[in-house]
Parts: sequence; C-alpha cells; structure tokens
Amino acid sequence: MSVISTSSHPIQVEHLYAISKSITQTLEWKRALDDISNLVRKIFIFDNLVVYRTDPNQEVMEAVYARATGRGRSAEADSAWGETAAYEAVQSQKTVLTDPVTPETANRLERPYVLGIPLSVGPQVLGAIIFIRFGGPVFTPESIELAEYISRQITLLIERQRIQEEYQILEDQHKQSRLQQDFVSTISHELRNPLGFIKGYTTTLLRSDTQWDQVTQVEFLKIIDQETDHMQELIENLLDSARLQAGQLRFQFQLVRLESLMNDVITRANLHHPDLVFNLEIPQALNPIVADPVRLAQVIENLISNAIKYAPGSDISITINQEDKKSIITFSDHGPGISEHDLPFIFDRFYRSSGSPTIHGSGLGLYICKHIIQAHHGELSARSKVNEGTSFTIILPGLP
Amino acid sequence: MTRILAVDDERLYQHLLQVNLEKEGFEVITAGNGLDALDMVSNRHPDLVIMDIMMPKMDGIDTCERIRQFSNVPIIILTARGEEQDRVRGLNVGADDYVVKPFSATELVARVRAVLRRTSSSEQITQNRYFTHANLKIDFARAEVWKDNKPVYLSATEYRLLIQFAHHIGQVMTAEELLMAIWGPQYRDDKEILWVSIARLRQKLEDNPHSPQHIVTRAGLGYLMPPIEKEH
Repeated sequence: MSVISTSSHPIQVEHLYAISKSITQTLEWKRALDDISNLVRKIFIFDNLVVYRTDPNQEVMEAVYARATGRGRSAEADSAWGETAAYEAVQSQKTVLTDPVTPETANRLERPYVLGIPLSVGPQVLGAIIFIRFGGPVFTPESIELAEYISRQITLLIERQRIQEEYQILEDQHKQSRLQQDFVSTISHELRNPLGFIKGYTTTLLRSDTQWDQVTQVEFLKIIDQETDHMQELIENLLDSARLQAGQLRFQFQLVRLESLMNDVITRANLHHPDLVFNLEIPQALNPIVADPVRLAQVIENLISNAIKYAPGSDISITINQEDKKSIITFSDHGPGISEHDLPFIFDRFYRSSGSPTIHGSGLGLYICKHIIQAHHGELSARSKVNEGTSFTIILPGLP
Repeated sequence: MTRILAVDDERLYQHLLQVNLEKEGFEVITAGNGLDALDMVSNRHPDLVIMDIMMPKMDGIDTCERIRQFSNVPIIILTARGEEQDRVRGLNVGADDYVVKPFSATELVARVRAVLRRTSSSEQITQNRYFTHANLKIDFARAEVWKDNKPVYLSATEYRLLIQFAHHIGQVMTAEELLMAIWGPQYRDDKEILWVSIARLRQKLEDNPHSPQHIVTRAGLGYLMPPIEKEH
C-alpha cells in the first residue's frame, strides 16, 4: 500500500479513496463536506475549516461551510476564520500560507497558521478553502499537497452543486415556457375551431350554386349560434384571466341569497341542456351572504360546464349548508373522476388534463374560479376518485 | 360514384365536409382519427381523402405517410392558418394539396374538384396493404411485421430498411443507396451501421440468419430481397 508521509497519521490510498467516494456518492454537498471533514481529520490536523464562495465578479465572498474542532470551538466567533487569506487565494489563484503575526504570544488562539487554497474550475475561481491550525504545527509541503488534493475534490462538489442549481432554474423556466407555449397553441386551436365552424357553415348557407331546405338551414344556423357562444365564453375567460394577472378583475359585492342564485343558474343551464339532471339539496333556511352574484354564478356555471365536458351523462348534485356563519357549497358529479396525477394542478393557470386531449378548454376556467372565490375570502377545493366522480367544495364566509 | 373519405377528430368538421360534398353528388365516408382512416383507405378504397393534421393518437402527417406506403389515393390536408411547417411537412410526405382552416365551403368544393381532375388521368394504384414474402408478412398501414403469424418488433430504422427491400423486390441495392435512403447523405460511407442493422434484421426475420432467405447478400454488389417463386 502506498503511503504519503504527513505530520499526523500516515495517509493511505484508502483514505483518498474514501474521500473521493463520498464526493461521488453523496448527493447533498453539505453532507458530503461533513463526511470529508470527518475523514480528513484522521489524517490531517486542523482546528478550523471554512469554505468561502465568491460571486462571478469576485466582489463578494461568503462563507458557505464552516467547521471548528478542538481549540477553534472554544473561541466561537472570536476565533480566526481566515477571510484575508481567502481573498488573497481568490485574487492570486494560488495557495496562500500565512504565519502568526505574534508568534511569541502564549495564547495559541492568537497564533493561527492559515492555509488558503483557491477553488477553481479551469480559469473560473469559485472561492477558497481555509484550514487553520492554532499554534501550529506549521503546514509542511506534504500537508499542503494533501490539502490541495482535498480542495480539488471539494471544488468538484461545489461545481456540481452550482450546476444542479442552475439546472433547476433552467428546468423551472423551461416548464413555465412550455406551459405558455402549450397555452398559445391550445388557445389558438380553441379560438380557431369555433371560428372555422362559423365560417364553414355560413359559407355553406351562402353557396350560390345550392339550395338548402329549411330544416337544414335551421340546423346550420343553430350550429353557428352555439359556436358563437362558445367563442364568447372563451374570449371572456381570456379577458378575465388577463384582468386577474393585471389585478383588475372588479367585483360588486352585495347581499345575495344563495338559494335563488343557484336556482337561477340551474334554470339557465337547463335551458341549454334540457337533459341535465340537478339534485339541489338545501337542508336548512339560508342566511344571505355578501358576494358578487354575477361572479359567483360564473363559478357555478363553470363547474357545470366542466361536468358536462368531463362527466357527460352524469347528474349533478349540489348541496348548500351553513354552519358557523360559513356557507358550504358542494358540487359533485359521478363521472370518470380526475387522476391523482392531474388533481393537484387543476387550479393552475393554463393547466389541462393530460388524459382528455379531445375535450375543448382553455386551461383557464378553474384558475379563474379559484381567484373569484378567493376574492370572496373563501376557499375552492376539489376531491376526486377515478371511476367514482369529482366533488368541488366552495366555502364562503358569512356576514360578520 | 366518387367516394371521399373525410377525416377529422371534430364531429362538426366531419359534418361540414359531408353536407357540402354530398350536395356535389359525392359519396362521403368519415373517420375520426388516423388509425380508422388507414383501415378505411385499405378496405373502402376512397377516390380522395380529406384529412385534418391536428388529431389525437395518430396525426394527419403520420397517417398520410402510412397511406403512401400502399396507396396513391389523392390526399388533401386541412391545416390551420399560420402553420406553414405543417403544410410543408404534409406535402413532403405525399399530400397532393392543402386547404387552410377556416375555409369557405365554395373553396373546399373547388379544391376537391381540382384535385380529382388533376389525378383522375393518372391511374390509381392501390397496392395491397399487406405484403408477404414466404413466412413474412408486412402491414404497411399499421407498420407491423409478422413472421410465421407471430408479431416481430422492429426498430424504426429496421422497419424502414425492411420496406425498402419490400418495395424493390428482386432488385439489388448497393450499401450506399440504402444508407442514403434510410440514414441520409451524411451516412453514405458508414457501411458498418448498415451491416449492424442488416444483421439485426436477419436475427429477427430469418429462420437461419447465416443462410438468409429474405435479405440476401450479393457479394461486392449489395443486398436484395429475392422474388419468391409462386408454387401454383
């Protein structure tokens, strides 16, 4: 076994191997540094160990890791931490060795031997590592060589950490920009579709070479009418979302009776969807609440429209309860449910379920709903079980 | 009667195409996705296909490419305004024309008539969707391969190499030709990559890869799929 001479215990290849192993196998850099400082102490004497990192312009230096052992511990913050040597090492990009200024003093803590080694990757200096021995022994050329080896290993750790951080930032940006790109492509598809139908059916009716009987004409006109509504809804959602982003969504709060608001919404929904079955349950007489009736109706209408799209054929159960001055509206369908994978994200802006690419939507509806309820100081949440159905709960505060 | 296949995942677009084209005296059949469209092209032999590009499962480009493996039926693709790259991709994989959504009914009918006029002079060859070579069978529409009626799983490159042979039966192809056709010009001298792929293909397809029946080496010349002597 090859042995390198040192001032403490002999260094063996297995020590170096253990250091390099903890670098490659410990993902978290602080833990890896702890491991290394423990390993190093067996073969290399030091009282204080500090890792400084510098910014790319080398203007600011910050301690990112510090360990005190033995004499360094007793002095706490008053101990020497080698900032000057760290600066010098970074500036000169060379190993710096400073001896005590007052070698005669009896207090060992005032006789620090400081070894500063730059941490650099290629031409880039990341910082410096400082080893301090109070009152000696002096750093021999062999021990400096070992310290430089350790520093190179630590450089790898820090560099890996830096790359991981940067990767994370890029990944987050990428995710955000992908959501936006998906949104742009979804929204252009969603806007073009109704427009395409309106254009297509209008020009069909306008064909000069052809006559259509009245039944067919009415059929085409109904499609045009529906698609105009569809487009209107999309544009409203887009505008609301933009207003939310700009903080300009306005509310007009007034006293609202929930049961009559709900009945109105249901009546309107049945006008367009006569087959849709609602089970409305209001077990007790309700106190009026303060709300924006138009916005609150918008939330319910959005939930209904989602149920029609994602839980076709299912009836819709709505229950309204009041307890402790709070109004609790539960809105449930018995559709296919939302997967565990999608559920945490359904209120996010632009988010669209991964499982149903053929269903139209902008990814804005629930995002807007959530904000409308929040503007009422309430809460909107969802629970869902695949193959059983989805249930939304709206909690609204009562009169103070 | 001229039969037109209308493919779109939107029911309202299917309906729109259907009412306008039926009024012109065409027979219209519809499909909601690429896979169904492939089956309809091979089973119902339409005279023209109108197909949307943006479809779930298999998009219009892939479907068009698959149809071209076995049929030269005229294809009109429907693309969204501003998606030039889709249009170019569609034309590159063998579409004959395109119509931009939203379209007017009159324009659509005029385009259909024009494409039918242009293509009716050239004879329509709908090759068999299936290709057999001894115990080997290829379904061009679904890009599937069977050996002794058991499915064989090929990589995309292996499949493209195999259909290259199937489309040039009895014809010796040089390594360079194959490399250019499948890997592209930058691989023209990369013979080893071809050798590896042919070896892998033989492992999967041949009863005895050292005495191949399907992909045969002509030393110094190239490779070929020999014609099979009909027994009856």
